[in-house]
Amino acid sequence: MASYVIRRLLLIVPTVFFAISFLFLLFFVLPGDPANLLAGGGDRIPNPIRVEQVNDKYGLDDPIATQFVNYWKRTLTWDLGESFATGRSVNEILGDRAKNSLRLGVWAIIAEVLIGIGIGVYSAIRRGSWVDKLSTVGTAVLSAVPIFVLGYAFQYWFAVYPNTHDWPQWARLRTSQIGPPGSGDGSWFLFFIPTGEQWRYVVLPALTMAAVSTALVARLTRSSMLGVLDADYMRTARSKGLDERRIVLRHGVRNAMLPVITLIGLDLGAVIGAAVLIETVFSWPGLGSTIANAVEDRDLPVVLGLTLVVVLVYSIVNLAIDISYAWFDPRVRLAKRDDT
Amino acid sequence: MNAEYVRLLTVVFALVLLAASCGDSSDDNEGASGSDADVESSDGESGDPEEGDPEDGDPSDGETEAGETETGDTADEGPSEFVDLGTFLGDPPQHLDPALNSTVGAYQVINAVYDGLTEIDASDPANPTIVPLVAESYEPNADATVWTFTIREDAAFSNGEAITASTFKRSWERAAALQGFYSFLLTFLEGGDAALDSGGEISGVVADDDARTLEVTLSAPNSEFDAVAGFQLFFPMPEEALEAGAEYENGVMIGNGPYAMESARTDEEITLVRSDSWVGDFNGETWDDRVDRIVFRTQSDPETGYLAFEAGEGDSANIPPGRTADAQANWGTTLDVGILGSYFFAINDRSDVIGGADNLLLRQAVSAAIDRDEINEAVFSGSRATATGITPPGIPGQTLGLCEFCAFDPDQAQALFDEWVADGGSLEDPLPLQFASDSGEEPVIQIVIDNLADIGIEAEAQPFPPETYFDELASGGCVICLAGWFADYPTYDNFMFNLFHGAALDGTNLGFINDDFDALVDEALSTPDSDAAAALFQDAERIVLNEQTMTVPINWYRGDYVYNDDEIATFPQTSLGLILWEQVAFK
Repeated sequence: MASYVIRRLLLIVPTVFFAISFLFLLFFVLPGDPANLLAGGGDRIPNPIRVEQVNDKYGLDDPIATQFVNYWKRTLTWDLGESFATGRSVNEILGDRAKNSLRLGVWAIIAEVLIGIGIGVYSAIRRGSWVDKLSTVGTAVLSAVPIFVLGYAFQYWFAVYPNTHDWPQWARLRTSQIGPPGSGDGSWFLFFIPTGEQWRYVVLPALTMAAVSTALVARLTRSSMLGVLDADYMRTARSKGLDERRIVLRHGVRNAMLPVITLIGLDLGAVIGAAVLIETVFSWPGLGSTIANAVEDRDLPVVLGLTLVVVLVYSIVNLAIDISYAWFDPRVRLAKRDDT
Repeated sequence: MNAEYVRLLTVVFALVLLAASCGDSSDDNEGASGSDADVESSDGESGDPEEGDPEDGDPSDGETEAGETETGDTADEGPSEFVDLGTFLGDPPQHLDPALNSTVGAYQVINAVYDGLTEIDASDPANPTIVPLVAESYEPNADATVWTFTIREDAAFSNGEAITASTFKRSWERAAALQGFYSFLLTFLEGGDAALDSGGEISGVVADDDARTLEVTLSAPNSEFDAVAGFQLFFPMPEEALEAGAEYENGVMIGNGPYAMESARTDEEITLVRSDSWVGDFNGETWDDRVDRIVFRTQSDPETGYLAFEAGEGDSANIPPGRTADAQANWGTTLDVGILGSYFFAINDRSDVIGGADNLLLRQAVSAAIDRDEINEAVFSGSRATATGITPPGIPGQTLGLCEFCAFDPDQAQALFDEWVADGGSLEDPLPLQFASDSGEEPVIQIVIDNLADIGIEAEAQPFPPETYFDELASGGCVICLAGWFADYPTYDNFMFNLFHGAALDGTNLGFINDDFDALVDEALSTPDSDAAAALFQDAERIVLNEQTMTVPINWYRGDYVYNDDEIATFPQTSLGLILWEQVAFK
């Protein structure tokens, strides 16, 4: 087990190197000169003096190979550079934005797990009932709707409509930003639990981010549960006279969870990808929206610095998911399997 | 993990959530938003006196410490209000420093925090005039090469630091050192070039603090320098800004305007509070009923900002493309305000396709074939003004109807095109109509394509990535390209010189080359008499519109803000697109 984990951790190094290097080189293929964009603000004719100044400051006139080597030298000391656009340290931007993405991601995953597994298990137990049919149709619809369309629809249904129809304040959810004006880190309890009015800002982006994944988790849980409900060990448990609820939760759900866990693990990548859209639609100041803005601005240090962390997190989470298999299914022996 | 343990965890988690949601709501200033029901009373007072108060370090209640701002005492005055705005489009503003900023979004904040030497008096929108602001008076010499500004005796920053003539001199030298987007304006000053190249003093600026005079010698005559001097680049900056350099904008910036920064900007929001040390506008009016706080919040795009406005999260927003009719029908708007900006096609004289003397009739045919009213109605819901020239109304000296080929006249267009063909003209390929993609211009281009097809001109859309569009044009890539221009300051030369003068070629001039035009503009700039200068500018404009037809005006911009008129009584936008925050008032 330990050797497996160490080898998997070591594999992260080339993964990160190739991913970031690819992105670095891709950046130079994209149209748009960052020096011009910085000097002109993106929508104006650039000032030549400023273009030269920007090129000098960031070494953008250097050969790509030189810039590439310099980038990795800095990155190995965890100096992610400074934003072309604002001059702010990327490490600082990362600190600000990563926690906001984490907060959103945590709530999206919680919603996905609780709602998705809940609906899936219930649908399986009550197969053929109206709840089962409704959830089948609902999950199919959710899977088919583009996530940003869903975001705009949620914004209209749960924020604009209640406001224009004088619903009570507590029922008016929020469409943008992470909290009320002036709210800072201090308005989060235990880092990710919103306090006071802040929950009204979290609900819509979290549910939107969770929506498609929740539907998939529900469908997979349902089919997986249907597979185990008639299994021999379930019949054995029933024949022992055990309580049905206990049988379903203890034996059924646990055994049905392996594929679901795989999906949730893979889904973390989807959550990171969806964050670009969701954070943009909801003006949520997280990694996704920052990366999207940075790509538009050709702000290479921000794009690379933030993506580096995303790749690292994704790799580590995948490893954690693999390890969790062993917990859910004691038959899985990671190190041995890997050795054979 | 046994079931009991899971249950216990679940209960604990639920209790934590409950405690959190019922917990400390004192961070929540939202209830003070004018759009929320909490603003109840007709006299503009918030229902909850605690909400909306700046909680941390209310800077008005005593001594001013480093990094803090002396402002109005919003805490002691009880109820307060704020305008919560989704003003910034796209990213948070890159720059908030007047010496560095190049965007209108950030200028909205800067203009609330700083006052310049001069201001525009637009009380008569058709005839705006430049008036002294921090300067109590000013005068040019006979040939408009030396301008002398006398600084108000009571001018001061919100931290009490006096604003003197020297303040302006060192602020302009600081701007030269920082070399922001608009730093090229310093080349208007004698010695400005040298300061931009190597730093140091600007030799043409002489400050006499005892006499309170700032004598500015220009590198070339400029009869409109009083308008330029009121632009953000020339705003006064306090001593501490000199030491901080480009980093100054990341802290609490001290200004001399009607509002002061409450705290350093974040990527999410910028909060301003009223500054009671403000000496007033050009009339001495201090607008004592102005709102206590203004919160600018970042929105990812115009549509998101508008949705947030509709959801009651702010009291104003920019109107995104396609929402003009909705905004007009349901909310208050500033669409009735004429903005000093033009929307037009520029034409590159060096283009084989449409440039040069041989293609003059083709250019005139194109201009006369375009149905500008249809564009305005179909694309902009009738909210813009159909252009009859390139320079918009509100620019001193501008006159309507200069363009002879801007009225939709298919017969005239057909005759001109036929004459061009008879003279041997031909288009080997469809005429490429260039524009920035994904910026809402496609319907405009399609209407123009249809208009041109009606007279036998085949045209096609040629979209460019928005990130590279202006780079492409600035490097001579324009053939016939769609562009927009907002005035930086209200002068005729800001259109004529910047868009068409040879000195601006391949900068903001996308391809107009004409010595007669340049000579007229140069002469106008050195003519102190405003009527005579206006006549010269108009002659120059006729050249570009009629004699050479190197631009095809489409329309003039209008105000672009929507506001909650259930709560807000006045929401004035100036012709430069800036909101006069001190005049915004709740009902």
